[in-house]
Amino acid sequence: MSKKPVASKESNRHLSPKEATLFRELLSLYETKNLKKGLKTADQILKKHPEHGETLCMKGLVLVHMGRREEGVELVRKGIRMDLTSHIVWHVFGLIQKGEKKYEDALKSYTQALRFDKDNLNLLRDVAQLQTQLRLYDGLVETRYMLLRLRPTMRQHWISLAVAYHLNGNLAETKNVLMEYEKTLKNVPHYDVEHSETLLYHVRVLEELGQHAEALALLDVSAKDRAIVDKTAIMEFRARLLSQLKSEEAEHAWKVLIEHNPECYEYYKGYLSNHSLNIDDNPTEALSFLRDFSTQFPKASVPRRLSLSLASGAEFKELAEPYIFSGLTKGVPSLFVDLKSLYTDPEKLHALQDIVETIRKDTTPDPSLASPSPSTEPTTYLWTLYFLAQHYSYLSEYAKALELLDLAIVHTPTLPELYTCRARTLKRAGDIYGASRAMEDARLLDGQDRFLNTKSAKYRMRAGLIDEASALLGLFTKKDAPSPGADLEEMQSLFYLLEEGEAHRRAGRYNLALKKYTSVQRIFDDFEDDQYDFHGYSLRKFTINVYLNMLDWEDHLRSHPGYVKAALAASRIFVDIYDDPQLATHNPDGGATDAEKKAKKKAKKAQKEKEDAAKKSGTTTSTNEDKGLEVLYKDEDPEGMKLLAASDPLERAAKLLQPLTTLAQKNIEAWIAIYDVAIRRGKFLQAAQALSRAHALDTDNSDLHVRIIHAKHTASNLPEPISPPAGPVFLETLNRLIPEGVSLETFNSQYLQKHSESASAILATAQASRLMGASLQEVQDVVFTVLNDKVALDIKTALEISSFLNKIKSPRVDELHKAFDEKFTISTAFKTTEESAKLRAWALTNDSVGGTAVTPTENEADLGTTTGSV
Amino acid sequence: MNIRLARAEDVVGMQQANLVNLPENYNIRLWIYHIVTWPQLSFVAEDPKGRIIGYVLAKIEEETVDPADIHGHINSISVMLSYRRLGLAKKLMELSQDAMVSVYKAKYVSLHVRETNRAAIGLYRDALGFEAVGTEKGYYYDGENAYMMRLNLKHD
Repeated sequence: MSKKPVASKESNRHLSPKEATLFRELLSLYETKNLKKGLKTADQILKKHPEHGETLCMKGLVLVHMGRREEGVELVRKGIRMDLTSHIVWHVFGLIQKGEKKYEDALKSYTQALRFDKDNLNLLRDVAQLQTQLRLYDGLVETRYMLLRLRPTMRQHWISLAVAYHLNGNLAETKNVLMEYEKTLKNVPHYDVEHSETLLYHVRVLEELGQHAEALALLDVSAKDRAIVDKTAIMEFRARLLSQLKSEEAEHAWKVLIEHNPECYEYYKGYLSNHSLNIDDNPTEALSFLRDFSTQFPKASVPRRLSLSLASGAEFKELAEPYIFSGLTKGVPSLFVDLKSLYTDPEKLHALQDIVETIRKDTTPDPSLASPSPSTEPTTYLWTLYFLAQHYSYLSEYAKALELLDLAIVHTPTLPELYTCRARTLKRAGDIYGASRAMEDARLLDGQDRFLNTKSAKYRMRAGLIDEASALLGLFTKKDAPSPGADLEEMQSLFYLLEEGEAHRRAGRYNLALKKYTSVQRIFDDFEDDQYDFHGYSLRKFTINVYLNMLDWEDHLRSHPGYVKAALAASRIFVDIYDDPQLATHNPDGGATDAEKKAKKKAKKAQKEKEDAAKKSGTTTSTNEDKGLEVLYKDEDPEGMKLLAASDPLERAAKLLQPLTTLAQKNIEAWIAIYDVAIRRGKFLQAAQALSRAHALDTDNSDLHVRIIHAKHTASNLPEPISPPAGPVFLETLNRLIPEGVSLETFNSQYLQKHSESASAILATAQASRLMGASLQEVQDVVFTVLNDKVALDIKTALEISSFLNKIKSPRVDELHKAFDEKFTISTAFKTTEESAKLRAWALTNDSVGGTAVTPTENEADLGTTTGSV
Repeated sequence: MNIRLARAEDVVGMQQANLVNLPENYNIRLWIYHIVTWPQLSFVAEDPKGRIIGYVLAKIEEETVDPADIHGHINSISVMLSYRRLGLAKKLMELSQDAMVSVYKAKYVSLHVRETNRAAIGLYRDALGFEAVGTEKGYYYDGENAYMMRLNLKHD
């Protein structure tokens, strides 16, 4: 705050000399956050000048810092009314709005303040930060220009202006400013990291401008002078620039990088593309280079692994054998995950299977001999079994995989990977309880390991054992947190929120599911807010390149799979609630699980204690503690009941989905969710666009098929035609998606004919005909065709089919479940309630640890250690 | 597995990997702060799908003005259990240390480790050459003591 409250005697800003001194004191007390004394001083002034706007605002500001926000904001508003032309009152108001994360409003207040004090550096700096946060780059250039004009001696003002031009897309000006700036520098010390970063930024700007020769010249001279000290950055820029310049030195430059870090894919790609070799187009030539690198860096895995992607036929086998054998001998647990991407090529898949099966044969201990074959380590056999188990599990040969794991566990009962693999296999096969139990067996092998703890908790949540999962998570969360979940949320754990949200959704606790999903949304909002301070900080630190990358990351923040997942899941619930408002009142088990009720009580108690303490201190105002200007998040709806009963579910869904329209354009599920919300909101233009985008991604998608029929059906049942411009566009889109002259019924049955062996297509056809008013009988008949042997049916689709039958209140649900249960032998997904309850209880008993944990439905005979029969 | 310099867009991946692996966790601000303050020092390892399966988050202790005491500090390092035995932690650490020397002329690198975390102590001492130089009482939020470990860095 600048300290010059100049005012004529007539103005109501005028203070008598004693109070004027006090006011200056108040400003400096605020700067040093001496709140208690500041408050006293403000009161002293107000005693004589009760309507002094600037003092009222300062008092309000101090109160907000002391945690008395409401009272404070009230005073600030009053202060503004008293003195509309003071820069101080607007500045104070701007600070408060910024604390409330209302960046647009804050910017307005700051702009107002600047009208009355246009050269105020503090105001200008804050304005620049707000403009960056809001991505208002035209304004940012102006503000940064002002700042440079006012204080050209400050280095950061030059850099900040260059960056502003850059953000605004004017790289040529950025370059000019940087050159002018460098001219002003005198006696830059060697080895100055800030200067080094600035020069690297300059090189980047030249590279982006396509001025490669100039960029290289600056890089080389700066590196030689030791003005740029970051050797890795020098090497990377150098290799890239030399390649772009088609220089002969480029090859060497890439080699230097590979030598520096032989485990970095990008360096090999750079090297190869410098030879005009594209990995996909010229595999043979690329391979010979990679072979050289493999010899040169025998310890590096990247060139050997990359070779496997490129080689084929006999050469592939020749390269794969030693790669696999070395991995199995060393006992590298990730070997399978490493090679899995090669499986898209069936030839390679079989080659790999042959190689590993052969190794298995060679390493299997001969029971007639006292010791196994002397040429290999006994653990090689173990890791071979583990590899093969993953291999067959991946190929959906679950029984075979489980058998291999049993053998491995007999061999070595203490390797957690064997149990995690068993868990994953059972999960894939639909046995969620057995999976959870196997994962818990893994965890019990090393209770100190948080990775295994997390996995076991996750598998419990997948099995609907939410409280039991929470108990596990609590082994690693802070003991004084209201609940393990509260701590994980505070720590911004996306996995926890997503898994628990999903578990609640499956159990029909939509309130709690929405609660978790909106917490994910809030975490991403926080991620976005958190960049604010760095708009100032990074420029003072001169780490411009990484700062610009940070802004770019923030701009694409919500493309993160965690956000996308939460947004889609929440949006689907909101749509379901809109379609069936009864869901909002339905409560499967009183809303919260036991652990959550306990946590709630604890949180309530803590909150009360806090409030009591605040009251105490509030009455005496004895504390000087600065609570800051930021509004802290307060959960006023811990059960999510308000979320569930919200009057605007579709608007909430639309808000969640909005970022996906630009950040998840390749995601068909996103477009389908966007359609579902748009059509219900009567946003026909957006609905049409969503259908077109989804259609462009996958013409035959079954979810899309249902929506196309839904759209046409909706359009023809509207009381009056949709008005232009949306109406014609919407109909035109539909006419493109449904062939002319084809009725919806025909369109639907044609789709079924075309995809008669796809379970999801069968489900989609049934859903569509239900939509068009087909009888329950008819719909059921369609659904039951999934039991046909020719139909490829997986558990996920089977579950969707089951929930559809439930939704339409089909009397044949049990019949279908019985059939599914027979089809998916390992699965527990279609057991009766009674059976499920038993399995649940079994999943939580752990008497088999250290031995072999065997599921009740498998392998009773061969091991004789079966526990917990059902 | 691909090993490379950590970029700004890696912060969420690093933070989430830390959350499932280690008991000491941090708000995203801390991750951003490290990456934008010392952009040369932190590294990540990714799986074939580009997911972060290991990282090292490092900084330079700057409170000192004595050039002999300029040193790096490992704030957090971890590799997912299923990616062990590839030497990833060692490779990540070496890249970070290399940058500490070349960019900041760091003389040594320090770290804290829980007194009871034998696996980690073993890794730091045996595989990475760190030595315990002292104990910090009650360093962790739950009251556990930390060993301070240190490794002198070579300058060429």
